[in-house]
Amino acid sequence: MNLDIELPQPRHEKFSFSTHADATIEHQTLGAPSEQAGCGEVPSSCPSLPQTRPSIRARLAMFSTGRLRRTASRHRVQQGREESRLIPDAAARQTEENKKFRDTLELLPFAVLLTDQHGQIALVNAVTEKLFGYSRDELIGKSVDLLMPAWQANFHAAQPADMTSLPLARAVGSARDQAARREDGTEFPAEITANPMSFDGEPYTFTVVIDRTERYELQRNRQELAHLTRVSTLGELAGSLAHELNQPLTAILSNVQAAQRFMTTQSVNLTEVREILQDIVADNHRASEVIRKIRALVKKSELEAAPLSLLSVVGDVALLVHSDAIVRGIRVLLRISPELPPVHGDRVQVQQVVLNLLLNAFDALESRSSLDRVVVVEATHDSAGMVRVAVRDRGMGLDHDKLDKLFMPFFTSKREGLGLGLSISRSIVEMHGGRIWAENNKDQGATFCFTLPTRVAAQHARSRHEP
Amino acid sequence: MNEVTPIVFVVDDDDAVRRALMRLIRSAGYDVEGFGSASEFLGSGPHTHRTACLILDVQLPDLNGLDLQHELNAASALLPIIFITGHGDIAMTVRAMKAGATDFLAKPIGDTDLLRAIETALRNSSQAVTSLIELDSMRDRLSRLTPREREVLALLVEGRLNKQVACELGIAEKTIKVHRARVMEKMEAHSLVELARISDKVGIARSHGQRTAR
Repeated sequence: MNLDIELPQPRHEKFSFSTHADATIEHQTLGAPSEQAGCGEVPSSCPSLPQTRPSIRARLAMFSTGRLRRTASRHRVQQGREESRLIPDAAARQTEENKKFRDTLELLPFAVLLTDQHGQIALVNAVTEKLFGYSRDELIGKSVDLLMPAWQANFHAAQPADMTSLPLARAVGSARDQAARREDGTEFPAEITANPMSFDGEPYTFTVVIDRTERYELQRNRQELAHLTRVSTLGELAGSLAHELNQPLTAILSNVQAAQRFMTTQSVNLTEVREILQDIVADNHRASEVIRKIRALVKKSELEAAPLSLLSVVGDVALLVHSDAIVRGIRVLLRISPELPPVHGDRVQVQQVVLNLLLNAFDALESRSSLDRVVVVEATHDSAGMVRVAVRDRGMGLDHDKLDKLFMPFFTSKREGLGLGLSISRSIVEMHGGRIWAENNKDQGATFCFTLPTRVAAQHARSRHEP
Repeated sequence: MNEVTPIVFVVDDDDAVRRALMRLIRSAGYDVEGFGSASEFLGSGPHTHRTACLILDVQLPDLNGLDLQHELNAASALLPIIFITGHGDIAMTVRAMKAGATDFLAKPIGDTDLLRAIETALRNSSQAVTSLIELDSMRDRLSRLTPREREVLALLVEGRLNKQVACELGIAEKTIKVHRARVMEKMEAHSLVELARISDKVGIARSHGQRTAR
């Protein structure tokens, strides 16, 4: 039987332990089975055994004396005793091996649990005690539900944990990260990896629990920051956005007042009134569409990877900056083929990147003549499975020594800039599995490019990562 | 002289807004014509001899509304401009008004405000068109005069007597009387005062007078 015991980093260099010849612990990742104990020098630090729970004590005792493999049934226990009587050398060796196993688990820098087929905890290490706030005595024999309430329900002992492997999902965590519960009732996100193993034909589950609190916090901070910059960008655009709303409102008001005046005439032209009503409905849609787009960008939402049409993503952003462009006398040209395959990503975040690059390009054109006030947004095939979006301006271009600093946090060339836009854009793009860079155009101005995986490529990546 | 229905031009790049404004203006009984850009409007030719006004969006994709105003002012002052804008600032308003805009309205625009502005603008336009037509006709009448009749006219409107004119020009007073009658007839003037007023409007009397007074 093969076991996939996947251990997270950092990996223990000398983490290999030997098993008795007839022990049924098999492992791969933990280290190849080896007859030479790699951790012979490990100091033994047996925890005190619980005095109040004889059965558990017995079970634990069996670990320390190497009789675990014989705990499955009375019969086997009996048989095992006979064996150990018969072959004292083998029993002693077994004892020694199991002790090494236990000692090794104690040394692991992450929480480890061994549970039996009923989900009862048979063994924990010191990190588990510390992480969950229970003492070892309190845990042994309890259901694993105590620590991971949501987990047991959908856990199948024979299935290795299915960790998602999309770049996006992997980076931002997946639904398979579970809530784990501490002794004081507080919950924390944990990455739980479970692998089956067996002793003497009896199934056990070897579970590694990694506290993801910090990672989630980091992620949340990054999300928070992305959201903040998004909101502040929209704040800068407020005037233009108001104008985008004002246009349909203007049309609606004038249409209604025109209709009211037409109604007072002797012969009401019904065709005209019908057209007016149609236009009012259309303008109403138009206004709510603007609101919807603003709201989508302002909303603090969970990341959601989905197939995205770049034409529609970039088109939405172009609409939001439409008035800003007109006020600044800038023309925005979109060159996006509708045949381009959809990319895989979070709509809001991809829009945030496009919005950021577009507004940067607008700023770059500040001092240019009206002929040069053009920004081109282009989307093309990049390398296999990737689509490239390029935002090209005809501004002053970028200093060569600044090209690599551009994407660092707090680097800015603008007087009022925070220096966060591009660094956030970079973290978004990289989270999607793409990359972002800037280059000077051959003739004039600069181009900012980023790539995103197409849907097909993202699916491929997922299947590749699946065990 | 100026009997055609007044026309209102609307230049706004937003189709929906333009359509709605045109309806509203039509509902008030005016002729209306819409354009999506400044260049489209400029291409539609000069609109000088008809009472008209222009509703102009400040933010246009090709030529800024204020620039178009500049262009139009250089060509003719006969087309009063009412600016409309979604986000006008004070500087913009001042600039537009200084350049002779009739009004500056913020979108969304109420019908009363818009129609009142249009009414004022059209009244101004009508006056301008009337005087333009009048001027044209006066110039036309003036062009019918012979050089000698012009000389007589110039001296007459300066208040000279027939005798003085005859002396100045070195011809008989009787001949001056004939010239004078011919000038009155050609210029369609019924009195010397009327003749003086017309000459003043056409603006050539003084220069003629100066030339002859040498």
